[in-house]
Amino acid sequence: MPFTGFLYRLRDYGVPVSTTDAIDFHKGLERGLAPDLESLFVFARLSFVRRVEHMDAYERAFLFHFYGIDVPRVAEGDPELLNTPQFREWLKAAVRNHELPPQALWTMSPDELMRRFWETLRKQMEAHRGGSKWVGTGGNSPFGHSGNAKGGVRVGGPGGGRSALKVIGERRYVEYSDTTALSGSNLSQALASLKKLAPAGARDELDLDETIYQSARNGGEIDLVFRRGLLDRIEVVLLIDNGGSSMLPFVSLTQLLFAKMRDRFKRCDTYFFHNTVYGVVYKDFRRREPLPTGTLLQRNPETRLLFVGDASMAPEELLWPRGSISWGDEDGEASLVWLQRLRDRFRHSVWLNPIPKEDWKSAYGGTTIRRIGEVFQMEDLTLGGIRRAVEHLNE
Amino acid sequence: MEFQGTERYYLDPELGAIVNMALVMEKPLLLTGEAGTGKTQLGFEVAKALGMPIEVLRCKSTIKGEEACYVQDTVLRLNDARFGTAATGRDVNDFFDYVIWGPIGRAFRSEEREVLLLDEIDKTESDVQDNLLDVLEDCQFTIREVNQTIQARKRPFILITSNAKRELSDPFLRRCYCHHIAFPTPEQMREIVRLHFPDLEKGLLDAALGIFYELRQKGFEKPPATSELLNWLGALQHSRITPERLNVPFVGTLLKRTEDILAYRGGSKRLKVH
Repeated sequence: MPFTGFLYRLRDYGVPVSTTDAIDFHKGLERGLAPDLESLFVFARLSFVRRVEHMDAYERAFLFHFYGIDVPRVAEGDPELLNTPQFREWLKAAVRNHELPPQALWTMSPDELMRRFWETLRKQMEAHRGGSKWVGTGGNSPFGHSGNAKGGVRVGGPGGGRSALKVIGERRYVEYSDTTALSGSNLSQALASLKKLAPAGARDELDLDETIYQSARNGGEIDLVFRRGLLDRIEVVLLIDNGGSSMLPFVSLTQLLFAKMRDRFKRCDTYFFHNTVYGVVYKDFRRREPLPTGTLLQRNPETRLLFVGDASMAPEELLWPRGSISWGDEDGEASLVWLQRLRDRFRHSVWLNPIPKEDWKSAYGGTTIRRIGEVFQMEDLTLGGIRRAVEHLNE
Repeated sequence: MEFQGTERYYLDPELGAIVNMALVMEKPLLLTGEAGTGKTQLGFEVAKALGMPIEVLRCKSTIKGEEACYVQDTVLRLNDARFGTAATGRDVNDFFDYVIWGPIGRAFRSEEREVLLLDEIDKTESDVQDNLLDVLEDCQFTIREVNQTIQARKRPFILITSNAKRELSDPFLRRCYCHHIAFPTPEQMREIVRLHFPDLEKGLLDAALGIFYELRQKGFEKPPATSELLNWLGALQHSRITPERLNVPFVGTLLKRTEDILAYRGGSKRLKVH
C-alpha cells in the first residue's frame, strides 16, 4: 500500500487518520484521483482533514514528508518561533556552516534572527518549486497510470500555477490551528464550540396526539393544538481575572466572545476578580461594585461556571487565610476554600487559562496553577482548549 | 462529467478539483467558510455546469430532519376525514395521497442524478444532523407511518454548506469531505470582480480593494464580504467616485451594523466591548 508512511506521519502531526479514511483514500488513488503531487496534496487533505484546526498540521506534515522541509508550527512573526526545535536546529546549523558568524547569537536581535530563519525557509521552498519531484519516493510516482481515470473522468490538478508548495507557504490555516491562541481572527471558531453549550429546541410544533384527542372530544370538529418545543436554555457565569498584565490581551476577547453569545443563553453574567476569588467578586471591570461570593453560590447549581484567568500568583495568595492582596477582602478564609465551594456548588465548571498548557509547569505561577487545576478542570485558551472545556461542561 | 465553472462564477482551481474528487468518490462535500465565499452558489453552478437538476434544503433551527425527507399533511387528511374527499380525487385511506416530499425525498425519488444542496446545516440541532447522517450515508430513509423504505434511485451529489455558527459533530464530519473556503485573496477578488464588472476602471478597483481589505482587518462585528464589495463597487461606478481612505463613500453598503458604522466614524480605533 503506498503512502502508509505518510499516513503515520499525519498522525504524528496530530491529524486523526482512521482506517476507513485510509481505505477510501486508496480507493480514490485507484480511481486515479491523484495523478500528480498537486492532486495528491488536495485529495489526501480531503480524505483526512475534517476540521480546519488540523489544516496547518496537515500542510506541515505534507511539506516535511514529500519535500523534506520542516516548517515550525508557529506563524511568521510569532516570537514563539524562538522556542521551536526547527529554529534551534537552524541556528546551530547556520553557525556551523558559517552562514552566520558565531557572534551573531548575541549581536543580532531575535527579530533579525527570526527574519533570517523565515528567509532561509522561503528560499528552500523556492528551490523545490521548480519541478514536481516526488521527493518522498525517490522521484518515482507510485502510480502506474496517467491522469485518466476509469469512467472517463479526468481530474485535473489544482492547476493555475497554484502548487501545493505555494499554498502551504501561505500558511492560510495557521490561525485556526488547535494550538493557536484565541485571537480576533479565529473568534468565530471558538464561538462555534461554545454554541454547543446551549442547544435550543424547535418551536411551533403541531401536537398531533393532543389534536386528535381534542378533535375527537369535539365530535370530529378539528381542533388544532400547537405546543412550543422544549427549550433548553442555560445560565452561564463568567468569572474573569482582570488583574494581572498577562490577562490584558484576553479580557476583551473573552468578553466579546460571550457578548456575541448572549442571546443564546437564558442568562450570562460576567464578574471580575483579581488573581483569585475570595469572599467577593466584582460586577464591574474596575472592581468597585462588589458581589458577595455567597450570593453567587446561591445560584442554580446547573449554571455553567467559566473562569478565565492565568491562575498565577504568589502561593500565599491562594493558600493563606489572609492572603488577599486587596485590603477590603480580608475575611479570614483561604481563597482555595472559596474555589472549592464554587466547585462543589457548580458541577459544570471549568477554568480557562491564557497560558499555553505546555508552559504551566514552568510558568511563574506553576504552583498555583497546579493547585487550582486540582480543583477545577483547567484548559488553555486555545481553540482546542475551549472545545475540550465545552465538552467537559456538557458532561 | 467534470465540473469546470461557469462564466459568471469564479471557480478557484483547487475547489474545482475538490468538487470533481467528491463526484468521483460519491461522498457528500461539506463546505465551510465565512459568508460571501460563494458556498451556496457553488451548488447551483455545479448543477448548471453538469446539467443536473438541483434540490435545495434551506436549514432552519426549527427543522427536525424528517421533513427534509417527507411530511404527512395531517391537517389536510383530518380535514378530508371530516368533510370528505369527493371532488379532490384523494383517498383518505391512502397514506401516499397525503405525503409531501421534502428536498431529500425528491432528490432520492428522481430518475436522474441530482445535486442535493443542504444549505447552512449548522443552523440545525446536532441530533438533527445525526438523524440525517444515516439518511445521507445509505441514501435511504424510512417512512415511519407505513414502514416503507425509500431508496435513492440515483445517488445524488450532496453538497452541504455551513457558516460554522455551531460546530458539527465528529461522526457527521467523518462521513463528508470537508473543505474550508478561505476568504478570497486580493488577486482572486480581482477575478471575481472582473466577472461582475468587466469594464471597471483599474484605478478605482485598486483603491476600492485597498480600502476593502483594510476595513476587513479592523475587527468589525460583521466584516464586509464579497457581496458587500460588489454592491459598493456598483454604487461607486454608478456615481463615478474614486474612494479615498479617510472618507469612504457609501460606507453603509460595506458595513451593515450600526455599531460598526459608529466605530468606523469614531476613527480607526478598535471596537470597544460593552
